[in-house]
Amino acid sequence: MRFKSMPGRPNETISEFRKRRILIPAVYAGIALALLYFCCAPVSAQASTAQAAPAKVPATRAFTDELGRRVNVPLEANRIVSLAPNLTEIVYALGEADHLAGDTDFCDYPPEAAQKPHVGGPVNPNLEEIAKLAPDLILATSINRRETVDALDRLGFPVYTIDPHSVDEMIQSVQRLGSVLGAGKSAAPLVASLRARLADLDRRLSHAAPRRVLFVVWTDPLISIGRNTFIADALRHAGAQSVVDTAVEWPHISMEEIVHLQPQALIFATAHAEDTRRDIDALRTQPGWRDLNALRHGNVILVSDAINRPAPRMLDAIEQLARALHPEAFAARAAAPAGPKPVLEEACACAR
Amino acid sequence: MRPLTVRRLLWTCGGLTVALLASVVLALKLGAVPISVTDLVVNLGRAAIGRTSQIPTEYRLIIFDLRLPRILLGILVGAALSVSGASFQALLRNPLADPFVLGVSSGAALGSILAMIIAPQLAFVMPLGAFLGAIATIAAVYFLGRREGELDSTTLLLGGIISASFLSAIIMFLMTTLAGRDLRGMVFWLMGDLSTPVPVSLRWILTVGVIAGIGAIYTTAADLNLLLTGEREAIHLGVDATRVKLVVYISASLLTALAVSASGAIGYVGLLVPHAVRLLFGSDYRLLIPASALGGAIAIVLADTLARTVVAPTELPVGAMTAMAGAPVFIYLLRRGMR
Repeated sequence: MRFKSMPGRPNETISEFRKRRILIPAVYAGIALALLYFCCAPVSAQASTAQAAPAKVPATRAFTDELGRRVNVPLEANRIVSLAPNLTEIVYALGEADHLAGDTDFCDYPPEAAQKPHVGGPVNPNLEEIAKLAPDLILATSINRRETVDALDRLGFPVYTIDPHSVDEMIQSVQRLGSVLGAGKSAAPLVASLRARLADLDRRLSHAAPRRVLFVVWTDPLISIGRNTFIADALRHAGAQSVVDTAVEWPHISMEEIVHLQPQALIFATAHAEDTRRDIDALRTQPGWRDLNALRHGNVILVSDAINRPAPRMLDAIEQLARALHPEAFAARAAAPAGPKPVLEEACACAR
Repeated sequence: MRPLTVRRLLWTCGGLTVALLASVVLALKLGAVPISVTDLVVNLGRAAIGRTSQIPTEYRLIIFDLRLPRILLGILVGAALSVSGASFQALLRNPLADPFVLGVSSGAALGSILAMIIAPQLAFVMPLGAFLGAIATIAAVYFLGRREGELDSTTLLLGGIISASFLSAIIMFLMTTLAGRDLRGMVFWLMGDLSTPVPVSLRWILTVGVIAGIGAIYTTAADLNLLLTGEREAIHLGVDATRVKLVVYISASLLTALAVSASGAIGYVGLLVPHAVRLLFGSDYRLLIPASALGGAIAIVLADTLARTVVAPTELPVGAMTAMAGAPVFIYLLRRGMR
């Protein structure tokens, strides 16, 4: 391909043509104008936010969020936007659902949460949708991007961020959100019950040897969990130890490695047990997977996908998993503490 | 094609500016939250006469704090990418040259990722790292493409493609091994994304850099015309080829680096826009440079508007839109030009 036209005026020698530069002063004038405009633009933007801020916010309390940011939260947060499914679950668990103005496309628990206005996904929420909801408090967590948090902060919205890396920290986050949302009254019994259930689990499993398991996040490619994730911590509380030990949070693992390690059980988190069971049946014939003793002997545990979300419901999933892995620790007592019994049967049926 | 006159240059640029303003109005109006033209005009008018306090908070946030900065960023990025594409095409005398194809975008991306790992707190470190990465890549590709002192078109493109995939592989390696939340958002950024507002300090560096870069390249436009006919011929005609090439290489790398550090690797703009401009208005660089800048701005503003609205409230990366919308337009223009 060639460039089509030759430049230049007719009757002009090529050296005359070369010397003729067009409109260079005009270009400099344009540059100057543009610079002038941009000198003014940031000033007016700052001025407008400065005007709006004192006019509106009546009474606030200063909090330090879990990333160490200072956030001025209104005493009565009435229009809360949650940027992640686990935050939505915590808001519901604290009884603040009426004050939740919006959540993400993935907020499906409790089912009513799906009816709230959505602002897009947690990683790339739509800032316009958030602004339209006129929130007085935005809740963010570690799956949100720091850029999103900073951008919302610059727009003048208070953003409180939680960052739990373990089950204990999740419970602490619930407690903190309780005071941030002014729902300390409902937070106290919730936190106490979560702590009690966790302590009960730890006590029952104190003598049980941890089972070596593979937590399957994704099958193709095979993705598992790293040691610093809250799921790894949940497994420890359920009397299990991941065979994968790495600092990477969501590591891609080679099948060879897993065949070599031979986990005692495979754990899948799912909201749709039927579909997952079908997928697991399909895996039984696949090279690599069919060499896993755990799969061959049916040591497969389906656990509620609540284990993927650092929220109060996670305790249900941990208890369910603990019962499936260590039935003997729970058989000792006839009256077991309250737990999600229907799901438990499902887990046992599958483990067989 | 008619020869270039000042009048034709002004008319063409004026026409493109009107088209750019029209696409800005369209971009301001459309979005997840629809805004009527009346509201838009009323509130823009209030802002213009300094009565910002009368603007309702909702419009202030959506029009002035979200859409307008994003549109201005799109204009800068689009202009930077297409002017650097046009410059590389002249310097390398290769119509397929483009910051994306030559690996310069990948070099800038790797440079800014490394800069972010080393000093994440400093805003200006990212464009600086991107600039160093871009310069290093174009230098490497240039020397890979030289054969017996002459630029060989095929070797050059192969060198570019290989550098691009080598650098992308390093980026993938860094992203998998470095666990941490700050690199996760990079997936969006790598595909080309305008949805995250750029910090004010970076906005400044970007504006000044893009205007200076395009200005510097424009001052060499007449020399680029001659360089296009061949380096030796240009030198015989008195072009200081070394100086021109140095100015344009540095400016074009700077433009690519600024665009990449603000919005990631948006592909195809540097290839499509200058070619569309050539097919429409001829290949004189004194027209091609400003027309490409305006055309690139229009292309990105429209592509980003599509990216924001097609599956609202979820957003697509603008890089996907430029690739999807750009290719058919290019084929149409190419076929029309051949007939």
